[in-house]
Amino acid sequence: MTAHQTGSGGIDRRRLLARAALGGATIVGATALGGIDADAAFAAQQPSLDPAISKSEFVEGRITAISGSVLEVAGSYGDRSRVQMTNATSVWKVRPTTAKVIEVGDGLYARGVKMPDGTVAADAVWVNIVNIHTTIRGIEKQRLHLAHGSHEITGNVIGDTSAAYAGRAPTSDLSRLRIGQSAQVLGAWRPSDNSVDVVRISVGH
Amino acid sequence: MACGSTSLWAGETSWFCCGNAWGPCTGAGGGACGNCQSSANHGAWPNASQACWDITRPDLCGENIPRRGCGSVMNVKHQCSGATVCITITDCGPRTKEWCGEASCCNGQCRTNRVLDLTPAAYSALGDLSSGMLPVYIYE
Repeated sequence: MTAHQTGSGGIDRRRLLARAALGGATIVGATALGGIDADAAFAAQQPSLDPAISKSEFVEGRITAISGSVLEVAGSYGDRSRVQMTNATSVWKVRPTTAKVIEVGDGLYARGVKMPDGTVAADAVWVNIVNIHTTIRGIEKQRLHLAHGSHEITGNVIGDTSAAYAGRAPTSDLSRLRIGQSAQVLGAWRPSDNSVDVVRISVGH
Repeated sequence: MACGSTSLWAGETSWFCCGNAWGPCTGAGGGACGNCQSSANHGAWPNASQACWDITRPDLCGENIPRRGCGSVMNVKHQCSGATVCITITDCGPRTKEWCGEASCCNGQCRTNRVLDLTPAAYSALGDLSSGMLPVYIYE
């Protein structure tokens, strides 16, 4: 875990984010705060009493422009958002990385704190991440052919690809995948060709 | 409707996309209840209806999960961090029967079997989307 602690003497990460954004933080990418763990970031939230009220802000959509450290995002329902990257923002794109790899056209999920001007100071940004239920239709050395609903998806086998069999720990051994198996695929969508880089493929019994 | 604090279930949660979306999620649709959105705090429950139950069959993993239909509200709490999110059930899932015995652990304690799917908005309120799976307690 990381820099996030709440309570006496701890670092309140949400306040830190707000300060970073309001202070005009423009540093994008590597953090000056040490390791950033998205798990830890909002760990001490209290339950909201109404399902319509969310404590943190969430942004979903496609990136339409990158202006310095601000991502312009077009939501899937026609809404528009501005996401401020700060020193404390964690970035995932295939793997934990820096904001330098974010491109216009990427899909995005972001979590953060809303600033007075409406901009969301991001605590965590996940770029092109997908987690889809599929059926394995074909297996090649460098790619998997997957069915997701009525869609066919090409799954690219990359250096980071791992497989989890029947709940066991992930392994780099993909040899036990079988055509016809149901599989959960966590990966990163490639906007350029609509394929998915497979990070982890999980199959059950 | 407000979220409650009465214990309902415990297990693993995964995440999924629904509604208007980008990438492979395009055309995911509004789920079994018709109004599921990735950007809202929504969830999928394996016993949202009899038809849903027939698909998910959590009983095959020993999970006799009670019926909670569209619009039901649940409070979901990360087993270890204590982070919580209040969700509304808008879809059917996950297919529990395909993952019998699968466990998610933290601090040496594990929760077994997939009993809940959350939208990215809801899941990210609890943890890291790249984890794919989290151990949770569910209240209503």
